[in-house]
Amino acid sequence: MRQGRVHFHEELEDLTLHIQRMGIASRDLFAKAMRALVEEDTAQCDEVIAGDDVVDRFYVECEEKILELFALQTPVASDLRLLTVILHINLHLERVGDMAVNLAKITKLAGGLPRSQTVIQHLEEMGSIALKMIEASMDAFARRDLDLAQTLPVMDEPIDRLNRNMLSEVMQIAGDKRMLEWGIRMHVVSRQIERVGDHAVDIAEQVAFLLTGEFTEFTDASHPELEDRLT
Amino acid sequence: MTPGTQIKIKTEVWDDMMRTPDMQVDRSGPPARSRQGDIVFRTQDLAVRYGSVLAVRGVSMDIAANRITAIIGPSGCGKSTLIRCFNRMNDLIPSATVEGTVTYRGEDMYGPHVDPVEVRRRIGMVFQKPNPFPKSIYDNIAFGLKVNGLSDDIDDRVEMALKRAALWDEVRKDLKKSALALSGGQQQRLCIARAIAVQPDVVLMDEPCSALDPIATAKIEDLMRELQSDYTIIIVTHNMQQAARVSDMTAFLTADVREEEDTRTGVLVEYDKTEKIFTNPGDERTEAYITGRFG
Repeated sequence: MRQGRVHFHEELEDLTLHIQRMGIASRDLFAKAMRALVEEDTAQCDEVIAGDDVVDRFYVECEEKILELFALQTPVASDLRLLTVILHINLHLERVGDMAVNLAKITKLAGGLPRSQTVIQHLEEMGSIALKMIEASMDAFARRDLDLAQTLPVMDEPIDRLNRNMLSEVMQIAGDKRMLEWGIRMHVVSRQIERVGDHAVDIAEQVAFLLTGEFTEFTDASHPELEDRLT
Repeated sequence: MTPGTQIKIKTEVWDDMMRTPDMQVDRSGPPARSRQGDIVFRTQDLAVRYGSVLAVRGVSMDIAANRITAIIGPSGCGKSTLIRCFNRMNDLIPSATVEGTVTYRGEDMYGPHVDPVEVRRRIGMVFQKPNPFPKSIYDNIAFGLKVNGLSDDIDDRVEMALKRAALWDEVRKDLKKSALALSGGQQQRLCIARAIAVQPDVVLMDEPCSALDPIATAKIEDLMRELQSDYTIIIVTHNMQQAARVSDMTAFLTADVREEEDTRTGVLVEYDKTEKIFTNPGDERTEAYITGRFG
């Protein structure tokens, strides 16, 4: 029994490493999708679409391991919190991978259409912040750093602001029909990047839960005073 | 992927929820019983000595009515010693002395005018190993009733006790059969029936399932939840999953080992809602024990 428990804690450590590796894979996939967007690089888009299989494999392996540990080890206390947190982070990272794929597909669809450099710069800025947020949230998880986790909502604010402004930016280029088509596609891209930021905030919330044992949402879009933030 | 076993879902509840205009689902549970929450036991700085050996010290806790309170901890931490304080079973050990106070519904249990026999009628006990009398199933219940002066309507009382202990359907046709012919799980439920037949207020259980298989254990656990509406239950258990499954409150004891003095004394480390203990314990010693990092 004692030996089994030691084995369990080793497996928890392995699982922690597994989700950290997945975090790096998701981040890299998203970074590549952003580069492909900015550089309008179809080959990189294809690499992103194919690369999502790696993230998905991480996801399935993680899910199976968590299920096994729940079934066989009946975790409690910090072990229980860690497992549920990894379960959530797993899902968030898998979604980040999906959003990278969405970016790559949209980039391909928008290929050949006239582009607005201003919009691209804003998307690049949003992507850069979203990447830092994924890194920060996973860093907070790895270091068990509550202070760092709590900075994520602040990091998310410029992304939300740029996303809200994206519609008016697209409207400014609406005079050219082909550019409008490109702009509408980029509006979807903007929303995808904004969601990546939200996933990073959600991961940080999980880190806070892991460390405090109390779950609180850092932001609450359903709250009336926050309604004006909605796009 | 091979599909797993599908759980048949009852859609009626979901349909009801969908019909609820604002989808507000009441999760507050059943209404609180009037007595629930009353303090049944209060210990203050409780200590127990066996001769010169200090077995338990400094236990201060309140135990609420109609709750199931679990006492967990490693071997030799004083769990059984503590639970035996709640019905003065330690009196039966000549070298045992109890210090501090234990009140039962506001009365000092160890006061000079308290009758330990009456205490044990009000506060029944079920032990680790089922210990039915070598008599018939019927007599196992009836004996305690007669001794306690509850001689009227004995048949009805026996039937009621066996029903409350979820044993009636299995033994109703064999009441004259020897209790020793029952399975271990049935014997333990008979012991619970025997304990509740005399209408106690509290049932103490000292590792009641440790000798039982998982099916019999599940029956006892279900029974505890059934009995909770009428009785206050305190259970000592080595099985932490059992404590997590059945109890409302959990007390974690550990042994304070002083190697230089060659002593080990049980101390109460943490006492809180079971959900809190098993998801976010407040003391790192509790955390270490329940996650298996020591003990």
